[in-house]
Parts: sequence; C-alpha cells; structure tokens
Amino acid sequence: MVRSLSQRYPTSFRLVASVVLCALALAVTFVLTPLDDSKLAGGAAMSIVILGLSWLIGWSGQVSLGNAGFMAIGAYTTAIWANHHTTSPIIWSLFLSTVLGGVSGLVLALPATRLRGPYLAGMTLAFSFAVAPLAIDSRSLTGGSGGLFINFLNAPSWFANLFSGSDALVKANAQWPADVAIVVAAVAFFFMANLFRSRTGRALRLVRDNEVAAELVGVNLQRTRTLAFVISAAYAGLGGSMMTLLSGSVTPQTYGLTLSILLLTLMVLGGIGTLSGAVIGGLIYSYSDNIVSVVNKVTGVNPTSTFGANLKGIVFGVLLILTMMLAPRGLVGLGSYLRRLVRR
Amino acid sequence: MGTFLASRVMTDIFGGLATGAVVALIALSLVIIWQSTHVLNFAQGAMGMFATFVGMNLVFHGLNYWLCLVLSVVTGMVLGGVTERVLIRPLYGKPEINPIVVMIGFLGVIEAVIASIWTTNITMLPSPFSQIYYQSAGHTILVSPFIFYEVAVVAAVVIAIALLFRRTNLGLQMRAAALAPEVSRLLGVRVGRLLTLGWILSTGVGTLAAVVVSTGQVLAPTNMDGIFVSAFIAAAVGGLESPLGAIVAGLAIGLTEQFILDFWSTSIAPLSGVIVLVIGLSLRPQGLFTKHVSRRV
Repeated sequence: MVRSLSQRYPTSFRLVASVVLCALALAVTFVLTPLDDSKLAGGAAMSIVILGLSWLIGWSGQVSLGNAGFMAIGAYTTAIWANHHTTSPIIWSLFLSTVLGGVSGLVLALPATRLRGPYLAGMTLAFSFAVAPLAIDSRSLTGGSGGLFINFLNAPSWFANLFSGSDALVKANAQWPADVAIVVAAVAFFFMANLFRSRTGRALRLVRDNEVAAELVGVNLQRTRTLAFVISAAYAGLGGSMMTLLSGSVTPQTYGLTLSILLLTLMVLGGIGTLSGAVIGGLIYSYSDNIVSVVNKVTGVNPTSTFGANLKGIVFGVLLILTMMLAPRGLVGLGSYLRRLVRR
Repeated sequence: MGTFLASRVMTDIFGGLATGAVVALIALSLVIIWQSTHVLNFAQGAMGMFATFVGMNLVFHGLNYWLCLVLSVVTGMVLGGVTERVLIRPLYGKPEINPIVVMIGFLGVIEAVIASIWTTNITMLPSPFSQIYYQSAGHTILVSPFIFYEVAVVAAVVIAIALLFRRTNLGLQMRAAALAPEVSRLLGVRVGRLLTLGWILSTGVGTLAAVVVSTGQVLAPTNMDGIFVSAFIAAAVGGLESPLGAIVAGLAIGLTEQFILDFWSTSIAPLSGVIVLVIGLSLRPQGLFTKHVSRRV
C-alpha cells in the first residue's frame, strides 16, 4: 500500500496540516472571481462525499451505489430544518444532516454488511432507485417533485465588511458559501485523516485484505464493516446538507443513480482510498462543465443538442472505465508513479 | 368461475406472475453471467434496452415485429460478446470491485447514449398480440393473449437454457469451464471462448426480456431500470449460483410487489424490493437454493 502523509505523522501534525491547507484554500477564494468561488464551493461539498465513498470502497472494499441516496437524506434534512428554524445557525443543519445520514446508513448497513461485493452494490443500487420516488411521494414533508427551497447562505456583516468597492456585497455573498464549504470540508478531512491512521482504519484494511486473519486477531468483521458504512453515509449526509445550503434548494431528481455513478467516477479518477484523491475528485467536479465544454469544442458537438446534453454522462462513464482498466489508482497513483520515475 | 378468477387476490396473482416472469428471465440472465465469469453485470438492463432500441426502432420504419425481435437479440448478443472481450477479459484476477466499477461506468455510458439518440421517441411499440383482458360473464380477468405470449417466451427460454446446460456437450463444457477453469483447460476445453459464449447467451436472454417488457409500451430508455433492480434482487435472493433459484425468486418478487402495491401502500412500492432482499438474505444469506459453501482460506 502507498503510505500517505497521514500515516507517517502524529495527530498534531495532521491538525496543523489541515489548518494550513484550509487557510491556503480560504486565501485562494479571495483571489478568485465570484464564479470560480461558487464552483469551488460545490467542489468542496462534493469532496466530502467523495472522501466518505473513498473510505468505504478503498479501505473496506465495499462498493456502494447508495451514497447519492444518503446525500438526499442530508439535503432534505437541511432543507426541512432550515425552513422550520430559519434563525438557527447552519452548524445545526450540518450536524443534524450528518447524524441522520449516519443513522440511515446504519439501518441499511445492518443487512448490507452481511453481503459481499456484488450483493452489496446491488442492494445499494436498489436503495438509490428508491430514494427519488419516495421523496416525490412524501409530498407533505419533501415538497414532492418540486422540491424545497431555503434562504441563500448570505455573508454576515463582519465578513461583508472585509470587502470594498461597488460590487462588495456580490463578491462577499459569492465567497462566503465557498469559505464555509472549505472550512466544513477541512474539518471532515481532518477527521478522516485520523480515522485512516486509527485502529479502526487498520482493522478495516485487514478485513478487506484477509477476513480470516482479521477474525483471528480479534477484529469483529460485522461491526467493523458496519462502522465503515455508517461513517461513509454520515459523510454523504454532510455533503448533501452542504449542497442544499449552497444551492438554496433540493429536488429529488438531483439524487439519483446518475449522481452515484458520478461520485464513483470522481473518486476513481482522483485515487481510491486517499485524501488527496478526494480533493482532486472535488476539483474535477467543480470544473466538470468546463471539461465537458472542452470535449464539446474538440468534437464539435452542439451543446444544446440532445447528444450534447448527455455528453457529460458519456464522458465521465468512459473516463471511469478507462481509469479503472488502465490506471486503477487514479491521478494520485499517476503522481506517485511520476515521483518514482524522477527519483530513479 | 368468472367471479373467482376476477377476484382481487386472483387479479394480483395474475398480474404478479406476469411481471415476475420477466423479472425471472432477467434474473436468469444475470445468473448465467455470474456462473461463467463471476461478474455481476450492472449494465445488463441497459445493454438489453440498447439492443432493443437498435432492433425494435425498425418497427416504426415498417419492418416486421418478429424480424426486429431477432435483430434486437442478435445485437444484444454481439454487444455482450464484445463487452466480455474488451471490458471484462482484462480484469480477470483483479480485485472483485474492478469489474463492478467498470460495468457501472458502462451502465452510465449506455444510458447516456440511449438518451441522446432516442430521446424524442415517444411512440408506442405495437404488440403482435392483443392486450385486451379476457372477459368472463361480465368480469374482467387480468389475463390477455399478450400475457400468454410473455409467459410463453419466458418458459421457452428457461427450457432451452436448461436443456443446453443439462443435456448438451457444450453446456457440460460451459459448466466445467465455470467450475474449474484450469482443469477444464487441461482437458482441452476452450475456456476463454466459453466465457464469451456465456456473456453472449446472457445478453441475448436479457435483450429478449427487454423486448418483451417494451412491447405494447412506450419505447423508453428507462423501461428496464425498475425491472433490473427487481431482477438483481431475485438473483441475489435465489443465490447467484442457482438458475432455478433465480426463476422461483423472480416469480416470488413479482407476486410480492403486486400484493404490497395492492394491499399495503403504493408509496412503499419503490422500497418493496429492498424489503424482500433484506428479509430474504437475512434468512438465508447464501440464497434460497444454494448449498452453503464455506469460503476457503
């Protein structure tokens, strides 16, 4: 296995590294345009979900297609909570969504973790298909197919005062959500970095690589797998909550199988089971429309045609297949390969 | 007699068996692939739908229904064979999540391709058989000539597959190749070819199911989504190794979903599959019809 930074250094180092990287990312948002800021915000929120999925697939070897469903649970929790408690700080929305995501993960994990590989993937696939119809059907709670709307995440006055000029408020209101998303992501990444290094993390890898050996050294297979699944679902809930806060709305169509496939693609492209892979996945999500429009230009496909509208699905599906077949460790793996070439 | 056949329970049984038959067929196709290559083909529904679009679209250009059906199935078989050679063959011996991920990616690609080519197609695919339910003394019985056609197709395929695997030399070789590839290779069985043949057969069956599902309906890219999930659940509950298990579980799931829809609630319907899966696998994790085999260290 590749040894990442988080495996070599103690918790204090990981804390400092998280704070420094977070501060760097925040500094960057001051330089970027409002458009790039909002893209980055989406990427930060998505990277949380990707990290949770990466933990599940990379570290426990369980494939889930249900994380978009857990995102939906987080997204709806936030929307419903924010509409009933308009003055409550967003930290409560984030907290509740994470917990509810985790709890629903637990409910699904109880049968799911008894299943291996393809069974589990298929079961979470069934869950993925069920979420949107359920959300549409429970109209009184979820607003049916129209979804729910909440107030936008506007910058507080102390933050807005940092900006001057005619478009100060525009800039502040675009950047504030991005900064919130980055801080939330930094906290999530810090926890995951510790989790990778923890007893649970090590036990999980052993369960993945050799179940019998794990059982012999006293690891409870069922409990360890369940825990991995619950944490992954909680991360998805947190990411979904962030998505609602950023977009100011939630619709059932957003959280379908397509999103689950996209999550998987971004995770594999970045690099399975690594922190940096999740960051790269998030960044690719931020600029996925740009990537698709480049493909549009190169191939000369009209973006408004039906083919152009579906090009994103095709491009990312092909990328997923190619990465998995040719470079299963993703861009992170490519990076470490290049480093080794240079050292030689 | 008419009152009995038109009663609520009998209506549910007819409806459930009609759906269940198709579910069983797709579940069977999943089991064939699983047995030959130990890959669960997540793109099975989408591949069948793609082939159906290629073939059945010609009905709208005046071609005969049966000719289009044959074209669809042949397209599906070619697609299956090529997929095995190009996408699956390089992954043998890799971790088991690799082929799963690749087939999920393929699912995404096919769904996007179908949606981009045939999105404007909202025409009903005409059925060669009447879909009008039989009447008996003023009561409607939920059976039509079309449902007989559906069930006949399923039965014919199941019998053909059973004969192939149990009675022919080729079927014996396929079973041997799946069970003990190395030994079979030493005995002169062309294992590689047989694995491809397994995929070809499976996607052929899957496509046939997709054609039957789409007949008499709007030809839509999403026709197979729900049914594929049910079929997967049937295959899993039946034990991925067992064709008989897949068929029984498929019929059972069709019935269960129908009864849940009718007697419980329509809003729970999307989750009914998950419920069946959870209960089925909690009772017998290894599947209904599979003998328990301990994994070897």
